[in-house]
Amino acid sequence: MDRSRALLALLSLLLLSRGAAAELALPSGLQLHGFASQGAVHTSSNRFHGDSPETSLDFTEIGLNASWRLSPRLLLAGQVLSRRAGDMSDGWPKVDFALADINLFMQDSHRAGMRLGRLKNRLGLYNETRDVPFTHPGIFLPQVVYFDKVRNLVLATDGIQLHGELYQPFGTLSATLATGRPVVDENVEAALLRGQIPGAIEPRENSWLASLWFHSPAERIKVGLSGAAIALRQDWNLTRAHPRIDLTYWIASAQYNAERWSLSTEYMGLPFRGRDFQPVRPDLNQTSEGYYAQLTYRLRQPLELMLRYEEGFANRDDRDGRTLERQTQGLIPEHAGSSRILSLGLRWDVSRHWMLRTEYQRHIGSFILSEIENPNLLEHDKHWDLFAVQAAFRF
Amino acid sequence: MVCSNTHTRTRRARLTRFARWGLIAIVAWQSGMSSAQQIIVNPDVGVVAIDRNRARLIFTMRVNQWGDKQPVTVFVLPDDASLHQVFAKSALGVYPYQLRRTWDRQVFSGTGQAPVQVANEQEMIERVRQTTGAIGYISDRPDATGVKTVKVE
Repeated sequence: MDRSRALLALLSLLLLSRGAAAELALPSGLQLHGFASQGAVHTSSNRFHGDSPETSLDFTEIGLNASWRLSPRLLLAGQVLSRRAGDMSDGWPKVDFALADINLFMQDSHRAGMRLGRLKNRLGLYNETRDVPFTHPGIFLPQVVYFDKVRNLVLATDGIQLHGELYQPFGTLSATLATGRPVVDENVEAALLRGQIPGAIEPRENSWLASLWFHSPAERIKVGLSGAAIALRQDWNLTRAHPRIDLTYWIASAQYNAERWSLSTEYMGLPFRGRDFQPVRPDLNQTSEGYYAQLTYRLRQPLELMLRYEEGFANRDDRDGRTLERQTQGLIPEHAGSSRILSLGLRWDVSRHWMLRTEYQRHIGSFILSEIENPNLLEHDKHWDLFAVQAAFRF
Repeated sequence: MVCSNTHTRTRRARLTRFARWGLIAIVAWQSGMSSAQQIIVNPDVGVVAIDRNRARLIFTMRVNQWGDKQPVTVFVLPDDASLHQVFAKSALGVYPYQLRRTWDRQVFSGTGQAPVQVANEQEMIERVRQTTGAIGYISDRPDATGVKTVKVE
């Protein structure tokens, strides 16, 4: 009830502001933007974004965004996001980002500055705008790299970021370095620990994030390396020590852009260590990984095809999941340790404001499934299909 | 000996003629492309020429002030306007979808803004004329008064 009322309020605000933006002359430098999307997800088995075996409509994203350039040196920007995604996210509006971007040096050949506030993490090609449907190909991001089941771990940071860009005839180099408190929630705990342990997971220390990108002058080629080091603790203990988790999440990215097609590929590594969970859990020391290759092809002006193949593993030293199944005495089946996904999608940009999309996925393995949506791991089906449609609006 | 010499000479002449026509064709094509659209700025902007890299940085909203520290206001036509598409490709050397992707990334991560979108060329001329520090583009038309044309180098 509360949830739908909040959604309705945000939606009417969005439509109102669109009307207002068109009719009223906004002060110079002030911009309002927004988006809303509704998806329908059907799976042959396993729950993904709601009760998908029965066809789920629990996949709604609404965002309202304002930015104000007070001077070439200062930009204020913020976005409120409501995201309903099955049992993973309830749609309650949250501050997605709210920041001041201060330019410290600005020349023809370089620029450097500082951002303060809640910042979207610059990780991989898509993390910064992962909830804005228009900004990524496919209804769903490649789940083996951009998990929706633990999205909040890497989504945003409350802190400070230094950024620099170097513009040269051979291309542009840009770098960021950030530190602050990560935003975490119960999805993180369920996904990292594969089940519930009492007490909430919370940041133990400030996270550190860095990225380095190069793109050729006309952005035909784009390559980057980005990563985050995150320290967490469990607010609960049996022994004297609090359980601790330390992890590094890093992505190597490459993209080539031609007039009709783009090819993108990324590799994600996630080494993590869990300590002091005894006697409930043994110490953990493992590395998850995921990678994908994705081709988008612009057929004719409003139509775009997407083809993607991805693979991900909970533990790269146990790709078939047999050790996991043995160690958990069969409580976690081996196919919960990996996912291999083939996706095919079609995007139709109906007008400047509307987009329709459809997508089919063939899955082997259930690694990418949310443990909150699918608590009984023994019920995970190894082979499953997904079919989804999405309508999205922007201004 | 003589025979083969004459032969070589005619071949060389033919090649030269071919190259000359080729060159003329390229020049004609290029000037045809560059005269199809041109960058315009508000008359108070103190630049007469702009290189392609700088034009690209301005239209992708990465550089937001002129050399004299005056703020830049960028005007563009809608993504599906044919003039916008030709301008992006031939003047900036990028595809229209790349411009949209760059603006969206900046807007929806709070790291920048999008250019101001105008409905048509007439409005483009009007807004660039009225806004200090403004930049935009039009097709090659002699009736654009009150704005300054800038050469792309």
